[in-house]
Amino acid sequence: MDVNVPDARLMPATLAPPAAFSGRGRRFAWTLLLLAVAFGAVPAAIVGTGSSYLAQIAITTMIFVILSASLNHVTGTAGLLSIGHAAFYGIGAYAAALLSTRLGLPFIVTLPAAGLIAALFGFLVALPTMRLVSIYFAVATLGIGEMIYVVLLNWVDVTRGPMGIRGIPPISLFGWQADTLLSRYLAVAVIAVACVWVLHRLTHSYYGNALRALREDDQCADSMGINVERLKIESFVVATFFAGIAGALLAHTSAYIAPDNFRFMESILILAMVVVGGLGSLPGAVVGALFMIVLPEALRDIGDYRMIAVGATMFLSILLLPKGMLAEGTALGFVRRSFSRGWATIAGGTPVGWK
Amino acid sequence: MSNTLLSIQGLTRRFGGLLAVSDVSATIAEGELVGLIGPNGAGKTTLFNLITGFTPPSDGTVTFDGQDVTGRKPWQIARMGMGRTFQNLRVFPNMTVFDNVSVGAVGAFGQSPWRALVNGGAHSRAVSERSWEALERVGLTAQAGDIAANLSYGKRKYLEIARALATAPRLLILDEPAAGLNDTETAELADFIRRLHAGGVTVLLVEHDMGLVMGSCSRVIVLASGRKIADGTPEAVQRDPAVLEAYLGVEDDAA
Repeated sequence: MDVNVPDARLMPATLAPPAAFSGRGRRFAWTLLLLAVAFGAVPAAIVGTGSSYLAQIAITTMIFVILSASLNHVTGTAGLLSIGHAAFYGIGAYAAALLSTRLGLPFIVTLPAAGLIAALFGFLVALPTMRLVSIYFAVATLGIGEMIYVVLLNWVDVTRGPMGIRGIPPISLFGWQADTLLSRYLAVAVIAVACVWVLHRLTHSYYGNALRALREDDQCADSMGINVERLKIESFVVATFFAGIAGALLAHTSAYIAPDNFRFMESILILAMVVVGGLGSLPGAVVGALFMIVLPEALRDIGDYRMIAVGATMFLSILLLPKGMLAEGTALGFVRRSFSRGWATIAGGTPVGWK
Repeated sequence: MSNTLLSIQGLTRRFGGLLAVSDVSATIAEGELVGLIGPNGAGKTTLFNLITGFTPPSDGTVTFDGQDVTGRKPWQIARMGMGRTFQNLRVFPNMTVFDNVSVGAVGAFGQSPWRALVNGGAHSRAVSERSWEALERVGLTAQAGDIAANLSYGKRKYLEIARALATAPRLLILDEPAAGLNDTETAELADFIRRLHAGGVTVLLVEHDMGLVMGSCSRVIVLASGRKIADGTPEAVQRDPAVLEAYLGVEDDAA
């Protein structure tokens, strides 16, 4: 069809639908850099120092990267403010702990089971709450989160209540056991990278665009042919699945879990990671988790003042960078260019859309 | 007359005691450019919402492309080929121009999380190409990478139309597209809509402004106080006493 408005005449007539953006070189550069840090630099530091403290921080960081990236999926990208994420983290942790200590199931079973059980709870929570909007949805997730915490705390027959569950076996795979510092870290890192990769594919795609459209204006997305309710439920289920996976990793790396690991404060901590990193920005969620785990540890020397320093840093970062350290728009552009996910090149070679 | 694309029969909507739309029947045939006008409060927006599925009717049916779509959800109706724009400009402000348009294409092609993970290449390419095409039709390809909120008001109007076009609509419903535009911009828009129609798109133009509708449409439906009071060529409608009364009022109006 040939329809022109005046604007069209200003454009070069030869601007055909552009060829796919080819940025393999740069894509490799960034992917390699990230993999080199996760599987080269950090393991080298752990082996070099032999520090279990360092290994523990690295493992905690990886677990929180999964939590932050998954919360970003539902809250940042799809715009459903969840303040009960830690509860699904808890469900995953308890599922893995109970399945392995009571039924003796191996890690290869408990890991996906933890994710699926958390996702099932996520689905059941999502069904009735998806029609709630903004703050009302947040309050509903707060209520659910507290409920789950109270159940973990008081259902002593199953969860052992405040005593928690001890003796959870370490990560193992077909006879191989992650019983050294390095192997524990590596196992967690491999799984965390896989989780982030899946979230990356979901977010940085046209599926992700549909999720962002929900956040921007769900009625409008509805009239574009987007099944809004289904997409909202999907995003919540995906987020709770990965929270469950993170829970299983916590259970199998720390050998001991208790309800206090999954309090409301944890949900807020995860939310803070997402907001400080940049709502809707997956790279931001990763950076936010790094920042919020590593900073308090780096400030140990100043003793009791460190949490004040962390709070002040959060306050200032959000004051100075209200869209987060890596704002969504910047992050999407970065992923399009540097990970070769973008589709088209216009004028200066800027890719748009998704592959 | 070619095939009937949209047919509404006895459409009625009550809000409490208020009869917003009362027993309205009309049809739109494939290839038509029809205007729907009426003074403020005539029930245009309500009728619009009844057709697109946002409001369920109290009574009556909506038939689109031979199927009864009464009570279906907006996304289902949209997917059947009914595209729309909004009166009060509802672009996705924090998304790029291209991504805005892609949502329309995604709506039409469907999307699943699995396809984002594996084997989605062909699907994504189809969405990309459809979106680019829609941007070309409104002349916004140069702004493809810009954040939608940063576009001028007029360009955001065209962006909305492009997004609706990306759904590959069989019927495109434009809700007061001239609102907020000056005379020059309105004339450009009218020109654009006529060319869109000439290119084969069936258009229902809901307008407050008489000029745009009378100059562009082959048929005009007039709504007043929730009722259809006229349906015919612009010339016939303009001479219709009931229309003149609704728009200008008559001194000895007993009602």
